[in-house]
Amino acid sequence: MSHHYIITAQKPTAVTACVTGNFTSSTDLNLIIAKNSRLEIYLVTPEGLRSLKEVGINGKIAVMKHFRPANEQKDRLFVLTQRYNAMILECGTIDDNIEIFTKAHGNVADRVGKPAETGILAVIDPKARVIGMRLYEGLFKIIPLDSDTNELKATTLRMEEMLVQDVEFLHGTQHPTLIVIHQDVNGRHIKTHEINMRDKEFMKIAWKQDNVETEATMIIPVPSPLGGAIIIGMESIIYHDGISYTAVAPSIIKQSTINCYARVDSKGSRYLLGNMSGHLFMLFLETRENSKGAPCVKDLKVELLGETSIPECITYLDNGVLFIGSRHGDSQLVKLNKNVNENGSYVVPMETFTNLGPIMDICVVDLERQGQGQIITCSGSFKEGSLRIIRNGIGIQEHACIDLPGIKGMWALKVGIEDSPFENTLVLAFVGHTRILTLTGEEVEETEIPGFLNEQQTFYCGNVDFGQIIQVTPLTARLVQGENRALISEWKPPNNRRIGVVACNFTQLVCASASDVYYIEIKDGELKQISHTTLAYEVACLDISVLDYKETRSDMVAVGLWTDISACVLRLPTLETLTIEKLGGEIIPRSILMTCFEGINYLLCALGDGSMFYFSLNGADGTLSEKKKVTLGTQPTILKTFRSLSTTNVFACSDRPTVIYSSNHKLVFSNVNLKEVNHMCSLNASAYQDSLALATKNSVILGTIDEIQKLHIRTVPLGEAPRRIAYQESSQTFGVITLRTDIQDSAGLIPSRSSASTQTQNVTSSSVGSLPKPGAGTSASTAEFGQEVEIHNLLIIDQNTFEVLHAHQFMQTEYALSLMSAKLGDDPNTYYIVGTAFVYPEEADPKVGRIIIYHYSEGKLQQVAEKEIKGACYSLVEFNGKVLASINSTVRLFEWTSDKDLRLECSHFNNIIALYVKTKGDFILVGDLMRSITLLQHKQMEGSFEEISRDYEPKWMTAVEILDDDTFLGAENSLNLFVCQKDSAATTDEERQQMPEVAQYHLGDFVNVFRHGSLVMQNVGERTTPTHGCVLYGTVSGAIGLVTQIPNDFYEFLRSLEERLTHTIKTVGKIEHCFWRSYCTDMKTETSEGFIDGDLIESFLDLNRSKMIDTVSGLEIDVGGTKREATVDDVIKIVEDLTRIH
Amino acid sequence: MSISEFLKDLPCHNEQNFSLFNTENGIRTSLRRPSVYIPTLDIPSEQIIVTEKKNILLRYLHQQWDKKNPVKKREHPPNTDNGDGPARKRSRLDGSST
Repeated sequence: MSHHYIITAQKPTAVTACVTGNFTSSTDLNLIIAKNSRLEIYLVTPEGLRSLKEVGINGKIAVMKHFRPANEQKDRLFVLTQRYNAMILECGTIDDNIEIFTKAHGNVADRVGKPAETGILAVIDPKARVIGMRLYEGLFKIIPLDSDTNELKATTLRMEEMLVQDVEFLHGTQHPTLIVIHQDVNGRHIKTHEINMRDKEFMKIAWKQDNVETEATMIIPVPSPLGGAIIIGMESIIYHDGISYTAVAPSIIKQSTINCYARVDSKGSRYLLGNMSGHLFMLFLETRENSKGAPCVKDLKVELLGETSIPECITYLDNGVLFIGSRHGDSQLVKLNKNVNENGSYVVPMETFTNLGPIMDICVVDLERQGQGQIITCSGSFKEGSLRIIRNGIGIQEHACIDLPGIKGMWALKVGIEDSPFENTLVLAFVGHTRILTLTGEEVEETEIPGFLNEQQTFYCGNVDFGQIIQVTPLTARLVQGENRALISEWKPPNNRRIGVVACNFTQLVCASASDVYYIEIKDGELKQISHTTLAYEVACLDISVLDYKETRSDMVAVGLWTDISACVLRLPTLETLTIEKLGGEIIPRSILMTCFEGINYLLCALGDGSMFYFSLNGADGTLSEKKKVTLGTQPTILKTFRSLSTTNVFACSDRPTVIYSSNHKLVFSNVNLKEVNHMCSLNASAYQDSLALATKNSVILGTIDEIQKLHIRTVPLGEAPRRIAYQESSQTFGVITLRTDIQDSAGLIPSRSSASTQTQNVTSSSVGSLPKPGAGTSASTAEFGQEVEIHNLLIIDQNTFEVLHAHQFMQTEYALSLMSAKLGDDPNTYYIVGTAFVYPEEADPKVGRIIIYHYSEGKLQQVAEKEIKGACYSLVEFNGKVLASINSTVRLFEWTSDKDLRLECSHFNNIIALYVKTKGDFILVGDLMRSITLLQHKQMEGSFEEISRDYEPKWMTAVEILDDDTFLGAENSLNLFVCQKDSAATTDEERQQMPEVAQYHLGDFVNVFRHGSLVMQNVGERTTPTHGCVLYGTVSGAIGLVTQIPNDFYEFLRSLEERLTHTIKTVGKIEHCFWRSYCTDMKTETSEGFIDGDLIESFLDLNRSKMIDTVSGLEIDVGGTKREATVDDVIKIVEDLTRIH
Repeated sequence: MSISEFLKDLPCHNEQNFSLFNTENGIRTSLRRPSVYIPTLDIPSEQIIVTEKKNILLRYLHQQWDKKNPVKKREHPPNTDNGDGPARKRSRLDGSST
């Protein structure tokens, strides 16, 4: 048996539907967005969109529409899922909280029926009399919206039209009347059907129009008084009202397919149209009066307004603001302006909503070598293509930035306003001088404090007891009176020695000069030296932090020493040594800090190489225990405490700034999304409350810090669609395969827009004719005028700047399908290796392709070798220094010879199309187009492949991964995940050849890629959850998640918690959790097994205490081998720990 | 007609909406997620959507039968009123003969 925990780290981001209406109240204007299996409810406000709630639906949303029942003041939402669960939802409030009421629900699937080839369509009669659904070919299902009964009867009608492209209800008809675009051998036609609601059948065809445009795709019903419908085609737009029609063929719409619309006016004279190039058009119905005085359509006008993201859905919000929902790129909020702007556009973007989908490939790299990966995704399609850099960390919200290079230290002070809660001064230390800035509101001005020594570097500065201010420089410690800021007392080390390091708190000061340590107390108007000691070695760092933040004095000093590389604790006021702890190694400690997290005292000691030791510190006798080490960065690290949300945190300033805090009595290390922080101090100024001042190389940033760590996403727009990505450490680059669209012109191919591959300086291309193409077609190489042609490129991108260093263009009909970076054989070079196919329309399968080997060095990309192959190279993997490629139905291994040539070593043939290949040791996992997964072993001695075992159940694979030596993960195109396990211990050959499914799960999202890797730091602090391994996945809807293995007992515990949660947490639309997660294909539906739904488990933390108590009651937990009843806190701790794996 | 005229008098629900939208800092980028709705109240649904299980051919034949024999239906209410049984038998006969 095999047990897994699956959790979404990044929820879906691609928008598939949006509606605007009055949902939360009759006066609220709401936007509702559908993202895969989630709805987001927003409120339109003067400030913009305010997010209200995210609602999970136990199903992938296929259709979302809204309607208003007669005599109702609010709109309702109709949702239909991919697995045919229908629901009618209403928003309301209970005790000021938004509540979603499921007004009606049920499954409308038929036991037999061929799912409609054009997908699920659903429409609602404008008078809300009936819902119509096109689910299966040849059938149409209606749900009469009868409010009096407690059963809504869904009835199937026979619809003789096949290949229904679109369907709508007409406005202003006596009976609900459908209009459909359907296709037959002669072309596409429109037809209307009146529905007899009493007999539940189609009564008559009110009107029809045969042979509309052959590419007509969309119907827009026009409200009364005009009525009728607009038919959108590739080249033309028709208005038809049953009697007459008006047609236009504006040339501006021909470039691309119009795929969505939004009605602007309720009377239906204006419509917004969006196309697949992201062009936004306005369609205007010009009317005149006919002979009877009724309005009728005179003309159709179409104008281009501007460019947006490629839309999937558009909705008009208010005052000229639109929401553009996109699944190819970021969604947008845009405003329509009456006047054209400098770019010739009437559309002004206001806000963008990040979308990672469709994620085509991901690559996990640990550029900083810290054990925490960052993900680079190939995201977006067409012009929305981009790379997204995703890493987990704490965000800094930057509020101000001051350009000031070379800062060596920073402190916030209250000067002249001691009774105010806010600080007003920032002291900045530089080599050889000190500058003081006053903060007045948001303004920053340079000032002076008379008692300060400005021509010296400040080592420490702060407000201290008796309303005084202290400044410590290499020469003296100076006490300054708060009111007149004049020097009142000064302390110097004996014999005019220089102060080397210093630490200070509200009442105490320690200074060290070489190996001498002086302890000074801060009195009213006096710095009084209390004691002095000489340590064995020179002092490298000091700390006198007060462990209990309510106190003002410390009983201990922490010291880091040179030479023997140790951390010591001295007692105050005597300075006698309590503890010496050797750290080992040769790197000196650079910063030492005593702190208290959640009532536990710690001593942290950071070294010059970015690593840090930490100990438990006994507050009474200064003893250190539980020594642990972590690597935080690569540069000397400075530790500073700050308080945020009444908890203590430590900020580790380095080239990888990190926040250290404690959760459940364990230290947590979170990256901060800043490149480098040299110094920091907390700042609570009136204009910058609860902020941090962070000094980077060239500036000071004033900002606030996020409460929790989360995924941070950076976008590198490419303007063309990335397909595959590979990282190459030796050249510090990423290789990315992209495709762009060029248009055939009289002068040849012209890129349709400028993008990453056209903008770079270095462009090379594979010359046509470099390779004979036996069996290849001849026609496709010369495209017709105006035809769109896909051009594939290999981009070389800098790992730090993400600048495109080089673009290599493949041949016109050559599609680059796979990419890897690898070292081959004994060759010391690392190569980029690309697998391609020559694609011709007349060939069912590509017959020719290439494997091309490139070397990138010193800014040049050189082709080292190429190998002609008999088919399309769908995937490439490095396999023990050789090239493993899946080519059409085969898996082939190529050796890299000493004369830099690929030589075929062995092949395996038992597949339909081998799409995916993964390896581990000698084992090779193959994912087939339709024959699930197969495990091969490479026999090194024989130089051959042996088929070890296979999953014999047909499955259309979308991604595969090896979890461990015996366990294999697959994703298939009915949106399920499954795990197969090979049984090496089986007694018969036949059993061994079978690879049975041991776990199955319905993800409800299309997985394109699996990669081993982690989003959080590995091996830092204590491991708390018994998870094993981590496989990340990326999906079409832009979600990123992970699958990890868990032991049996933990699985059983979580299973039991999961089961309890399904009772506590009710579902929207009343779709049972077990139905949602059940493995479901055309062939079978089976309950989910072997997977724990982490999303459901984590929702435990969102429950209130009483619901938590209800949920855990009776739940058993295994503590040290004995079972006992779990408490709420036990479960919170377990679930919180689980949240830290992503 | 110019585009500016196209864009005149765009519908307004509440003229305050988006009036205070801050565009000073350029285009905002957000990955915000609203708080997640966790329903714990068990509110029964008012209506259940049930899908008719009857084969559409059978239903069609029923309708045809009812249309052809409306009088008979009234003559023998006990047989056909709410009795699916006799009706189904007849349909099946019809079905098998075609």
